Amino acid sequence: MELRSHVSGDIIVLRLAGRFDNYVAPSVADWLEKHTAQESPRIIVNLNGVIFVDSTALATLVQGLNRCHKRQGELHLCGLQQQVYMIFELTRLDKAFHIFVDEEHAIQAMTS
Amino acid sequence: MMLENVLIAQHALFVGLAEAWLASGASTFSVWRQDALLAHWPAGTPPQDPSLIVPLYYDDLMLGDLRLSGINSSVAHTRLTSDASLVAHLVRLEDDLQVMTAELVDSQDRLLAVYQLTRSLRNYSTVEETFQSLLFESLRLLKVHSGFVIFAAKDDAVTIEQFPAQSLAEEVIFGVLRRAQDAEREVLISSPADLAGFPQHVENLCFVPIRIRGTISAGIGLINKPGSFAMPDVKLARALVEQSSVHIEQVLLHQETAAQRRLQVDLDLARRVQMRLLPQQVPEIAGLDIYARSKPAFQISGDFYDFIWQPPRSLIFSVGDVSGKALSAALLMTMTRTAIHSKASYMPNPTPELVMRNSHEDLFDDFVQVGMFATVFIGQYQPRTRTLMYANAGHSPVMFCPHGGRARLLTADSPPIGVLNTSLCKNHTLSFGPGDVLVVATDGLNEAISPDDEMFGYERLLDLVSVGAGLSARALADSLFSAVESFGVGRPQDDDQTLIVIKGVAV
Repeated sequence: MELRSHVSGDIIVLRLAGRFDNYVAPSVADWLEKHTAQESPRIIVNLNGVIFVDSTALATLVQGLNRCHKRQGELHLCGLQQQVYMIFELTRLDKAFHIFVDEEHAIQAMTS
Repeated sequence: MMLENVLIAQHALFVGLAEAWLASGASTFSVWRQDALLAHWPAGTPPQDPSLIVPLYYDDLMLGDLRLSGINSSVAHTRLTSDASLVAHLVRLEDDLQVMTAELVDSQDRLLAVYQLTRSLRNYSTVEETFQSLLFESLRLLKVHSGFVIFAAKDDAVTIEQFPAQSLAEEVIFGVLRRAQDAEREVLISSPADLAGFPQHVENLCFVPIRIRGTISAGIGLINKPGSFAMPDVKLARALVEQSSVHIEQVLLHQETAAQRRLQVDLDLARRVQMRLLPQQVPEIAGLDIYARSKPAFQISGDFYDFIWQPPRSLIFSVGDVSGKALSAALLMTMTRTAIHSKASYMPNPTPELVMRNSHEDLFDDFVQVGMFATVFIGQYQPRTRTLMYANAGHSPVMFCPHGGRARLLTADSPPIGVLNTSLCKNHTLSFGPGDVLVVATDGLNEAISPDDEMFGYERLLDLVSVGAGLSARALADSLFSAVESFGVGRPQDDDQTLIVIKGVAV
């Protein structure tokens, strides 16, 4: 799985690609832990290249979300492919995350 | 002394040489070290003035000479030179023998010391005791009065033993260990420059590192050997250290095995407690065929299922899956199951939504604290109306197959417990007559992976439920478990798999 990140203003965008499962979740968890350590973190996770998520991946994102909330920050998701979005719908995690069609809309929502 | 030693050790050979010369016409044959007469032949006749003298050399060192009287010819000179070479060769052999003997004695001493150390180590079963014994035996055998041992374990725990206590600051001892780790060998300190940073009472120091499981993580320091530490001291200390490192590795292995055994006993107990928490049998209710089973991936599980059947109250059942694996998930699973069980048992008019909301309120803070969550499905069957009411907090897959129809997934209406601070769960109602089937599984089934890295997925589960809806609840569950097991054959099950199958049957 690929992990690439870039900064857009005070927002850090993490782009993931490939399978997001329990084998790669620890590296994403490490990344999220590191980038949610400061106050008011603003993070967007772009799942555009992700073809699959399992329960460990969901747990990792929820942990990241909770850490952001604890530090008065935000974590948005964007670019979910249909089969990945279906998992969020099934588990109703679509009600826990703000999910946007793409990075541009997610950044716009965070900065407005 | 070398020539004297050879004269004593090889006396017969010298007698042979002398007799041969006397037989050849020489009047005396004698051996000298500088001007000191060491031996002469014939025995009763003092040596006369020599007619031939040939020096005895050992490398460049002149050891003495051989002297003849009564003969003076070039042939005799050549022969006497040859005899001198033979004697010099014997001196060399004697010297080698002495060195070998000294080394043998040295080895013997070391062997004895190691034997004594081994005997004393046998009585110790902890790393600390072993290091203490190594320190005191080394001080005794190397005849020094001060020293220390240091052991920096992998978990950052550091053990330092000193005699006398607090002779050196811990930073100084750490510094010596680091030097030995960098150099990967002993550290000998005796020059004033090297001793800078040490207390004044330290005149010399020998630190021998100890390799434990291939890494220098310990060592023994010996302080103030009268004179200084010589190579035999270092060799002896090395031998003691090698012997004790074997013992330390054995002690560590023993401790780890014991710890594993204790953990295993604890896990066995936890598993038994968990198994007791799962219903020992499914309730028998008119109009329903019920089967439930849980297959933990590890010894203990983060999944649970439960039935609360207290006639005349309606049947309430739950299935849950705590995120994460093994011990942490198992602890929260126990908590979650108990919270739901007590709500469903003691609320005056429980419904899935009420039980879920109340349990969520109880559990939310604890889940957020540890950064985990639990997906939970709660169902309630009303025999009178043959309806099934449910609330679903993020749980999947839940499959409903109406009689004669195709199985479909029931989505959740609230995220899992531990995600949002309020539960969004609502009651949903299904008509549940004969032939209708509800399968509540955990994601260990749909996320089972084949050897080709393919996932079992929802579609295969839905197909199996649609095809097997006519089977008994148990037969349908068996077919699902069996299909998932065949799919992942060759790969270890890496998540818990739990299933409740409820089928409507004629009363």
